Amino acid sequence: MNSIVLNIALPLLVAFLLPLIHASSRIAARITGPLVLMVMMWSAVIVFKALEYPVSIALGGFLPPVGVSFHLDQLALLMATIIPLLMLLLWPYQYEQNLREQTVLLLLAAASSGLALSGDLFNIYVFYELISVASFGLAAANRQASSFAAAFRYLLISGLGTVLALTGIALIYTQTGTLNLAQLGLLSSRLDNPLGLSAFALILLGIGVKAEIFPLNGWVAEVYSTASTRTSALLAGLVSKLAVLAIVRILVVAYDDSEAGLMLLVFGVLGIIWGEFSAWRAQDLKRMFAYSSIGQLGMILLAFSIPGEAGMFAGIAMMLHHLVVKPALFLLTEKWNHGTDSLRGAARLSPLAAALFVLFALSLIGVPPLPGFWAKMLLMSGLVGMDTSVYYIALAVLMIATVVEAQYLIRIAVTLYSASDRSSELRLASNTGVMSLFAVVLLSALLTLTPLGSKLYHIAAESSNRALYIRTTFNVNPTPVLEHKNATQEASL
Amino acid sequence: MNFLDGLLILSLLSVIVTGFAQKLRSAGWLSSVLLGLQCLLLMGMAGLAYGSPAVSSSFSVSVLGQPLHWQFNALSWFFALITLASALASSVYAAGAWGEDYRLQGGNPGLLQFALNLNVFAMLLLLASGDLLSLFVGWELVSWASLLMMVLAGGAAGRFGLRYIVYATAGAMAVMTGLVMIFQLTGSFQFADFAAIAPSLSNAQVVTFTLLFVFGFGVKMGLLPFHLWQADAYAETPGPGAAFLGAISSRMGLFAMLILVIQLIGLGRLINIEVPYSFFSLRDVLMWVAAFTIIFPTFTAMRQNDARLLLAWHGIGQGGYMLMGLLMVNPLGSAGGLMHVFNYASYQAVLFLVVTAVIYRTRTADLNQLGGLVTRMPLSFLMMLICIIGLAGIPPMNGFVSKWLIYRSLIVEGMPLLFVASVVGTLGTILSVYKLIHNTFLGQLRLEHEQIREVPWSMMIPMLILSAVVFITGFLPGIVLDWVASAQAALGIPVLEHTLGGVESPSGNLDMIWICSVLFGGFAVGALVFYSGNKSRRVHQLDNYAGGHFLTADDRYHYSNNFYAGLMHHIGHWYRGTFQWLESSLGSAISLLSAATQMLFNSFHPALFLLLAATLSLLFFAG
Repeated sequence: MNSIVLNIALPLLVAFLLPLIHASSRIAARITGPLVLMVMMWSAVIVFKALEYPVSIALGGFLPPVGVSFHLDQLALLMATIIPLLMLLLWPYQYEQNLREQTVLLLLAAASSGLALSGDLFNIYVFYELISVASFGLAAANRQASSFAAAFRYLLISGLGTVLALTGIALIYTQTGTLNLAQLGLLSSRLDNPLGLSAFALILLGIGVKAEIFPLNGWVAEVYSTASTRTSALLAGLVSKLAVLAIVRILVVAYDDSEAGLMLLVFGVLGIIWGEFSAWRAQDLKRMFAYSSIGQLGMILLAFSIPGEAGMFAGIAMMLHHLVVKPALFLLTEKWNHGTDSLRGAARLSPLAAALFVLFALSLIGVPPLPGFWAKMLLMSGLVGMDTSVYYIALAVLMIATVVEAQYLIRIAVTLYSASDRSSELRLASNTGVMSLFAVVLLSALLTLTPLGSKLYHIAAESSNRALYIRTTFNVNPTPVLEHKNATQEASL
Repeated sequence: MNFLDGLLILSLLSVIVTGFAQKLRSAGWLSSVLLGLQCLLLMGMAGLAYGSPAVSSSFSVSVLGQPLHWQFNALSWFFALITLASALASSVYAAGAWGEDYRLQGGNPGLLQFALNLNVFAMLLLLASGDLLSLFVGWELVSWASLLMMVLAGGAAGRFGLRYIVYATAGAMAVMTGLVMIFQLTGSFQFADFAAIAPSLSNAQVVTFTLLFVFGFGVKMGLLPFHLWQADAYAETPGPGAAFLGAISSRMGLFAMLILVIQLIGLGRLINIEVPYSFFSLRDVLMWVAAFTIIFPTFTAMRQNDARLLLAWHGIGQGGYMLMGLLMVNPLGSAGGLMHVFNYASYQAVLFLVVTAVIYRTRTADLNQLGGLVTRMPLSFLMMLICIIGLAGIPPMNGFVSKWLIYRSLIVEGMPLLFVASVVGTLGTILSVYKLIHNTFLGQLRLEHEQIREVPWSMMIPMLILSAVVFITGFLPGIVLDWVASAQAALGIPVLEHTLGGVESPSGNLDMIWICSVLFGGFAVGALVFYSGNKSRRVHQLDNYAGGHFLTADDRYHYSNNFYAGLMHHIGHWYRGTFQWLESSLGSAISLLSAATQMLFNSFHPALFLLLAATLSLLFFAG
């Protein structure tokens, strides 16, 4: 179990060693990165397979709530497996001068794994900061004036967000005297007051910058349309999900049945409206996907705002679906003309690329029997299950947003397939090999829907179980008596 | 493995085969053979229409713990028969000379055949659905498959297809909401579980479900006010495709509505729910929606100058008759509604095919650019005549029987206003189909059409067979009424008592054999008088005189433009385009909203938003 620490330590170490390796051998430098990612994946899979029930790891032998603790449950390990996998797919293999980018990517891999596994607020904050630093580097990596400008604006808002998050964490510390998530779970009654909720709001907004939460997503369209496609795919596909996951962990463990979930709902709904409607008008393909990704993140947030297993199940399903489809769309359209009108008739010479686009678009809209449909159905079913007017309003917004989404995505598809009125034939440059891989993933998810569904349900049930989380760390049950006991523990801190 | 398994598997195979064989020159015939085989398998299940128990497929899948399975009963069989027959006719029509011509025009007939097979497969899957989940999967497949058919032509078709998919997605969302609500209530997607709790639903729940499903499925039917997409989209579809879509595609909405609203919720509940501050029940409201769906699109059809648009607008209106009939408790009405699905499909397919034949020869469907083709394409004329008589609901064609059933039940149930409304609709139909046949086949022949010949046999045969169906099922409506009665039984509604010649029930009698005999006897007398009189002399069609002057072919005296000027003088100002206006203002509102959202993204620094959001949420929690 403890070998999972390798997933953070190894890429971090190699990231700093990479320039040295490069100096001695170019070929070694080229294969090091992918090798590290493969090792990470292997180690995550091994632990995932061996894991029967959630485990808490106390680093350096300091028992929680004092030391640095990792919380290993299926959700964390799933993310820890996906991180290197996605990075391997998006690794810059074919570029020569990419040492810095590779370094930054390894840094991102380490920080992301750390964020997924962390069991306390302090580490979440540290790894989140590390992700920020890495993503600034990535956003500016193609060294154009526009991407520098975008990265700078991104840095600015992200920095502000960090300050807010830190303030929130400080508030929590003053209220409870601890930053360990499980301990916060035991003391959650102390957070169910205006101050505690304000702390959550600040953390949500701070971390929400990365999660593309409305209204902190002004940077999204700009960065995604200027940065390299792989960066956009990583930021939209992976980093945003990790940020959401961090928020959800805090919500589930420390803010169980409080108003905090409602806040997620409000931001989610606003995000859906903003993202989808902006995408409707977008004339530039990359911007359209950027806006649409804001809308999708809103839906994911909406899913997580539903308390209990149903919400967690829907959220994880939506998240994984978006994690496959969004990077796929970004990659597929990497070298297409950005203007949507110039794609007219492109399907004739590039039938595979166009067909893949349609497949991903349909799944994103949620057309049965594609996986996106089942995820959306879980979400709708969860919303209806709440049977509260707020959730019905959210459902109505979701319905309208889906119609808007269908309109702009199918508009592109129709453009691709419409007859070309120009003499010059357009061939879409796209990396259909990798893309077909994504399509295979999507379709195999379709074929294995039943086992996949039950697996995800188990993951959701486990990670939405607050008591289990606390028991894993302290081996105690969260009862009022124990809360008293921990209050004395806190005094000794 | 039973016939249903065979049918579904063969249908899927046909999709795959035609998908790969698109480039093949004989792709059309291949597709026709495959569709013919499917028809044979369907015939193997013909027992369903005569009282055999429902057939279940031997395979089923389970997703997220919810089983999906498929089955066929008399209702599914009835709809599947119409689907496969019209698909087969369209496929044969497109396989021969028309397909070759379509290829020369730059189209891909193989792709058309593929789209046809895909639509058939999707529809069979929908018709065979054995639970709510498989129903929705089938429903969505049907929606998206018909999009493929609609956008084949490219150009404006793409725009209309896009418009369709916006409506369809909105409908699908409504249906999906209804389904997850049912799931939350019953914990399953099985029809039986929903039917079990349906009597205990509160009135508010019944209203919610009814509105969601009528909206969701009604969009596909072109129910007012969600009808705007249909005419343009169908008219732009390549000819045989339009015939197929026009004949059956919209009826899938009716099928799904039948299952959910009439079979599962039940008309009884709808009748018992009063609309506040009025003397209407929920059922009456739906019937009036159906009545307006008959009237408005039919009178819109009358003003069209494109033959395809004229027919497509009619398709919307005829859907209203079906729904109106099926909303009646009386077995006459529901039988009329179901029979109208069959009858309408038979003549609408032929009408689209005849118009396509005219386009094939003349390259235009503009009703102001045609005329006098009766001597050039006499068989096509005859078939159009048969089918417009059917469409207008005049004896001896089958359309008369179904409309008579609906009228009769309206009278029996005491709904005079609805009766008047449907008669007004029929009046509009008669006027516009007369315009269609007059402007196309009657009157003055254009000089450029003088050398035109009748269309080839590959196009003629499917039309001939379908027109024969229109006549035979009008003469012997009992053939179809057998199937309809079994479908009624499958739906669990009162069954019509019928004979081979028509209806024999306490609420009304109709014997088409008798009516046709009298009618044709009359014709025989007339013919006798005509041919025993003076010998007539045949003159050439362009050999015309008026007021003692010879009229050359350059003198246009064929009255086609602004056809019903006198009528329009009275009712013309009622055409206000209100629905168009509503649709475009909705579009503008969305456009405005999205401009506003984008502007907010572009004009302020995101950090401002961050601070604003932080302040607001702190206020929210602290205040």
